[in-house]
Amino acid sequence: MKKPIRRIIEYTVLILIACIFVFPLIWMIVSSLKPEASIYTDMNGIKALLPSLNPSDWLQSYKELFNRFDIVQYIFNSVIYAVVITGGSIVVNAMAGYAFARFHFRGKKILFALMLALLIVPVETIIITQFTVAHSLGILNTRLAVILPLIANIFFIYLFRNFFKAVPEEVIESVKIDGGNNWTIFWRIVLPMSKPAIATVGTLSFIASWNDYLWPLMVLTDTSKFPLQVAITNINTTEPVFTNQVMSILTISTIPLIIVYILAQKYILQGLGGSGTGIK
Amino acid sequence: MKKLSVLVGVVCAVLFLAACGSGGSSEANHNEIVVWFHTSLETPEGEAMQNTIDRFNEEYEGEYTATAEFVPRSGSGGGYEDKINAALTTDTLPDVLTLDGPNTAAYAESGIIAPVDEYLTNKDDLLPSIIEQGTYDDQMYGVGFSESGVGIFYNKQMFEQAGIDLETLPTVDEPWDWDQFIELNETLHNEFDKPVIDMGFDDKSEWLMYAFTPFLWSQGGDVVSEDGTTAEGVLNDENGVKAFTFIQDMVKNGYSTITPVEKGFHTGEYAMKLGGSWTIAELEEYPDIEYGVMPYPTSPDTGELVSPSGSWQYAMSASSEKQEAAGALIDFMVSTESLSEMSLANSVLPASYSAIDEITDEVSDEMNVLIEQNAASAQARPLLPNYPQVSRIFQDTISDTTYYEENSDIQALLDDKAAQIQSALD
Amino acid sequence: MNIKKKENLAAYIFLAPALILLGLFLVYPSLLAIYYSFTDYYLLTPNDINIVWLENFIAIFKDPVFIQSLKNIALFVVLVIPIQVGAALGLALLINKQRKGNIFFKVAFFSPVVLSLVVISVLWLYLLNPSEGLINNILLNVGIDPQPFLSSPTQAMVTIVFVSAWQGAGYQMLIFLAGLQNIPGEVYEAGKIDGVNKWQKFYYITLPLLKPTSILIMITTLISAFKLIIQPMVMTQGGPMNATMTPVYYIYQSGFSDRMIGYASAMTVIFGIVIGIVTLIQSRVSREDDN
Repeated sequence: MKKPIRRIIEYTVLILIACIFVFPLIWMIVSSLKPEASIYTDMNGIKALLPSLNPSDWLQSYKELFNRFDIVQYIFNSVIYAVVITGGSIVVNAMAGYAFARFHFRGKKILFALMLALLIVPVETIIITQFTVAHSLGILNTRLAVILPLIANIFFIYLFRNFFKAVPEEVIESVKIDGGNNWTIFWRIVLPMSKPAIATVGTLSFIASWNDYLWPLMVLTDTSKFPLQVAITNINTTEPVFTNQVMSILTISTIPLIIVYILAQKYILQGLGGSGTGIK
Repeated sequence: MKKLSVLVGVVCAVLFLAACGSGGSSEANHNEIVVWFHTSLETPEGEAMQNTIDRFNEEYEGEYTATAEFVPRSGSGGGYEDKINAALTTDTLPDVLTLDGPNTAAYAESGIIAPVDEYLTNKDDLLPSIIEQGTYDDQMYGVGFSESGVGIFYNKQMFEQAGIDLETLPTVDEPWDWDQFIELNETLHNEFDKPVIDMGFDDKSEWLMYAFTPFLWSQGGDVVSEDGTTAEGVLNDENGVKAFTFIQDMVKNGYSTITPVEKGFHTGEYAMKLGGSWTIAELEEYPDIEYGVMPYPTSPDTGELVSPSGSWQYAMSASSEKQEAAGALIDFMVSTESLSEMSLANSVLPASYSAIDEITDEVSDEMNVLIEQNAASAQARPLLPNYPQVSRIFQDTISDTTYYEENSDIQALLDDKAAQIQSALD
Repeated sequence: MNIKKKENLAAYIFLAPALILLGLFLVYPSLLAIYYSFTDYYLLTPNDINIVWLENFIAIFKDPVFIQSLKNIALFVVLVIPIQVGAALGLALLINKQRKGNIFFKVAFFSPVVLSLVVISVLWLYLLNPSEGLINNILLNVGIDPQPFLSSPTQAMVTIVFVSAWQGAGYQMLIFLAGLQNIPGEVYEAGKIDGVNKWQKFYYITLPLLKPTSILIMITTLISAFKLIIQPMVMTQGGPMNATMTPVYYIYQSGFSDRMIGYASAMTVIFGIVIGIVTLIQSRVSREDDN
């Protein structure tokens, strides 16, 4: 055990840094709990980070929001997209990462270099051609069109590859001797040892799909399939814009991400214990 | 690892379901038409549109049926326009679509939309600015369903505090010129010793084109020549220099600021704001502010009142095989009843004379100032196929002008920008 | 031979889903973009595309805005990489430890990543407002003159650097964290016995073992820094006086606002080559370090 003074300093520093990072989050939540006018009149004091003093104001903006939009439907859609994309992304990218980490196959080097080269493509600029692909596949206006393009991700493949490379050779060899094939090794041994990587990719992939706006809007025409982001953009750009309602819908859309992150970081820790190499 | 296998199972199941859910798109029927709106059904604008469609379907029951699809846009049209562009590449445009006024020329020039003159039963009722913005090559391609306007919002309490008699303020019939307006700013500036008007210089978007061209036009200048081929010698003529000098002086003298505080007028920070009709709706949330609206100031050389205008419009896609039905729908959607409903629901200015008569008693005095100003002085933005570039260069010009230290030589700045616009036109 | 064939097959089975999806939604669209760069594709006339060969490329080299945007992005990349990656590593090291309330700190550091850019830009615009903003109030109290920040052609990009690093560091922190968790505890145990101090431990044990993660982070941060678009889009719209116009933003504008897909594609190709060269140099340098 260290001296208590040292700990106090450590915590003070951490709290100060945390404040720098967390104040927008607090401001967002608090601003959703007050009338719009107070958001701006409070801006230059500590009141900016306090909700309305009158608790009956708190839920007003949420009520108006739920009256204006079918929020439940949007949330449901967003959850479906995010869960499927996250699951698909973990499986597909982990498999590819495993192939690059563990197999020696023809064309490996070229393929890997090619993938890295593709990282430089600015996706924002090829959305029209992506759309024509979706059209030729005949998946426009289906949920599949929203999901498919977001699953494979070079960065995630790269991330998984690095993690799988760190898995000790002996572990895999011992299973091979026991008669396990590649498939079982991957599912039974490698993947369970890679919880930190899964949690990382899962979190990042969840965030990416949750925040995706332009692509779903382009491929869907049926409003009942729109994700939450479409509602956010909508409420944020339809004059007149009411900042407290904007903050309410942003709060609603941010909370799931925070929860996912809290859950995921728990698994990163578990990954430690599970692999038997915990620092403690 | 059970969890993972379950996960995989769920993923596969959902993918499968999603694939099944892809019902075939609506079958082509000669009497069924599809309309795309640039807004969500959940906005007042969207609701008004859906109501109009419902009434259309009732009135033309057995003859035509219209289905509306709502595509919310982001910012000044992104999202919705991307979707139109994408639909173009796959030839899947709807029969009727909405488009922003400045896009008329590009869409018409590219043969995406078809002229609608022959379907309009009451074209004379439309405001001249609406006809102007929808007409390309002497044919009407787009019909605006509302008008927009900008005025100078002022805070009554702050004006009185500065000793300004509210009775003497300008009206649409008797606007002030720039000199009088500068005097007003000086009085306010002396009283409050900080910027007194938020002109939206921080909003580097279409706003800078839309709200600031009237100053240029009032002086007698223009962005490009009448026929849309020349910018050099037009933007940078002496009228241009005068108008831009006025704009620069607003910042240089400290009357306005390039970094206004958000909602500054609403919270009593600034005494005035160059604001649109939507500002009226915003101010409902700020009951403490008593405000009025006055018209644009005019050039002292001409005294001519000019105000901005323009809006989204209905148009028929050229690829539609059901032009009769599409034309009937557009005509129905710009009837007095439809236009009045749109204006009231969305608190925007009406697009036709009869709609003005219909609603004028139902809207606030402030809104009526804008409606009056609009009918008297609205001018549409230039119709050019490469409008986006021209508009952006003009926006840059306004923005650069406000950096008075770096750009004290207005003539040089305008020469440079006129050359840029010229190369975009060529 | 048989085993080798089997391994080839197995590898491609593992790769198949990813390769198919990447091929459809990344490779094919990118190849099309290369093709379009030699054409006059105007967005509104997709059925009238003519090959113009190098016309677009010649025009680009005369385009002052594109050249300006290249200079801007160079400044951004040079500044943001050390700041953001350094901050990310620092944060990861700070919280890679068992202590009470750690979850709170982890969530706090990560929260700007999940926050909407709308919230972030509204808030920072407020804080950075030259006349009213909190930051200038603080500076004034410390005796520094108020700064114009985003409204100044010279300061705008630097300001965006800091906001971006602040916003994005949590992302790289997460990856560093996962990398740190992968370092076996025994290594540190061994170090303890040898009596190394904290700095030695960091420099001789943590840093080298973090190398693969660091290279990954450096390369991806570099590439995503090159692709900067959202922050200037929401905070400055590329201004003032094009000081924060970035290549991808300009490409986006040319393609989707100006509808000049051919021209935009040609810029994409040129810019892709630029990023490719820089990335190649950077990964060479980090590999040589390795040996």
